[in-house]
Amino acid sequence: MTPTAALPLGAAALVAAVLGTQVAAGGWDLGPTRAADPCRARAVVAVSTGLEGLGEQLVLLGLDGAACRLHTTREALVLRLAEPGARTDAEVDAVRAGLHDAVDRLDAEHRLPPASSLLDEVLVGSGLPDLVQRALHALPDSLINNRLPTAEVLRRAVDDLDVRALLARVTDPAQVQSLVTAAVKQAVKQQLLAGLPHPFG
Amino acid sequence: MTQRRMATALLALTAATVLADSAVVTLALPQILRELGGSVAGVSWVLIAFNLVLAVVAVPAAWLLGRRAPGPGTALGIAVFAGASAVCASASGLGVLIGARCAQAAGGALALVGCLELLVALTGERRGVRLWTVSGVVGTAAGPVIGGLLTEAFSWQSIFIVQVPLTAAAIPVALAVGRERLPAAAGSRRPAVAPNVALALLSAALTAALFLLVLLLVEGWRTEPATAAVTVSVIPVAAFLAPWVARALQAGPQAENVAGCLLVAGGLCGLALLPATAVVATLAPQALIGLGLGLTVDSLTGQALHDRLPRAHHGASTITARHAGVVLGLAVLTPIITVDLRHAQAPAQEAITAAVLDAPLPGTTKIALAQQLGDRLLAERGRVPDLHPAFVALHPPPAQQPAAAALESGLNEQLDRAALRAFRHAFLAAAGLAALALVPLLVTRRNVR
Repeated sequence: MTPTAALPLGAAALVAAVLGTQVAAGGWDLGPTRAADPCRARAVVAVSTGLEGLGEQLVLLGLDGAACRLHTTREALVLRLAEPGARTDAEVDAVRAGLHDAVDRLDAEHRLPPASSLLDEVLVGSGLPDLVQRALHALPDSLINNRLPTAEVLRRAVDDLDVRALLARVTDPAQVQSLVTAAVKQAVKQQLLAGLPHPFG
Repeated sequence: MTQRRMATALLALTAATVLADSAVVTLALPQILRELGGSVAGVSWVLIAFNLVLAVVAVPAAWLLGRRAPGPGTALGIAVFAGASAVCASASGLGVLIGARCAQAAGGALALVGCLELLVALTGERRGVRLWTVSGVVGTAAGPVIGGLLTEAFSWQSIFIVQVPLTAAAIPVALAVGRERLPAAAGSRRPAVAPNVALALLSAALTAALFLLVLLLVEGWRTEPATAAVTVSVIPVAAFLAPWVARALQAGPQAENVAGCLLVAGGLCGLALLPATAVVATLAPQALIGLGLGLTVDSLTGQALHDRLPRAHHGASTITARHAGVVLGLAVLTPIITVDLRHAQAPAQEAITAAVLDAPLPGTTKIALAQQLGDRLLAERGRVPDLHPAFVALHPPPAQQPAAAALESGLNEQLDRAALRAFRHAFLAAAGLAALALVPLLVTRRNVR
């Protein structure tokens, strides 16, 4: 091979070696992580415990369900909801339906905690008479769990939740916490009342 | 050192300094923007104005210089360049700085073509042209490195302060050496079209290599200017080694030019396809670009000047070609990178949102963090944000600190990936310009056959 040909060929070989190594190491695909398909179930784990941890799991799964219904990604939906402005009925309905899906999924996977394990948190500031609270504490766990099936309580809570108000205050952690807790407590009260024998029944 | 050697060194240094100015402020642009205000597009004119004026003024400057003895004209050019450098250093507004950069380029054009004639007068035709060419290559390649180091060590003004004594020292040399009008010599008067067109296209690509890489490192990956300067020094080092390789292989100028274009185009493709968002990943592509730069610019300039007279006119044509190429590169690549950076924002925001949502942190912490991150994005006005203040403001309890630190690192990685992806099309377009430089070279080769 003549030196005239050797230099360009050597340069081409050097370029091919560098580019080949880079592409083999993932250079073609390197970019920001793409959003996952919200319609495919993903593993969701909450670091918080008790009611807060349960709320986190429901919100994360609920966002997936809502995004799937709205034909967008979970991330795009969150960014849109973080923007100021009124929410559409479609968004509100999708978030509520997503939360229902989340309850159904956790229930089907037997990942919902028994009501007895959440009772202390729920009763704090619940507005129930002191006597009722003491009576509930005195009840055996099995009876509480029987009277207050977690899935039912949560479904009631989702129905009671003011989703539009929640989405309007989504950037304020204290307000979000307050709205979710209020809805859960209201649902517990309703479930308890529904389970009590009617005085004229 | 003899007086002749000292004079040669000072003139070569002047040529290198003027050509270094083409890109010397690249790493200083963010600091200039912060201090003098204005828009990003406005600040980019600090770079564009110099190259544009140099490209336009070089040929008329050579014509002026050819009408009388080159010494006084060269000295005048150097004096204007040095004076304008002092004005640049003391500029209190962007308008004054851009105006002074134009004056720098006008004086620099006269100084450059004059230095070519004076170097030939001092050292002979072959050696003089070679010294002038090598000074240009070294200056062009080392400009951003030196500018970055000076900006980091002192300030952006120090770049221009240093230039005043560096160039002013050559004024007495120019007056002493170029007292007589140069005799008319035999040689082709027609400019060498193919090498000049190839030079223009390669300069456009090399501008991209330096400008875009520095932009990626400093603005995209938030690397310190000094680190960025040391990183891009791979290009001048490789460019310096390239002629040794060429000499060892004795392949001839045509083979060197073709190999050089392939290396520059390949290196730019390499920058477009980096497998990691780490400074070290840029080294191999940079080495390819540096080798290509060393093989081509030297050889193409030599071809453009070979047996062509008046020498100053043809030297000026190469300056026009190179700096018109720089302006072309900036004109072609700036819209590409501007649009791609805008398009990169949505995927980056989604990737960051996903990382925050999936982080092993309590929901309330995530919401508070999201609020802080949103504030950072607004505060940075479209630039790649520094997320650290958001995490500092978060004050996570000790148990959550490892998760918060891991999340911060993950978010920065996502931002770095988004920035890198935003530069991909611009690097590939620049690679296309380098590959296009092969066309005039191969057409000429066919005609020669």
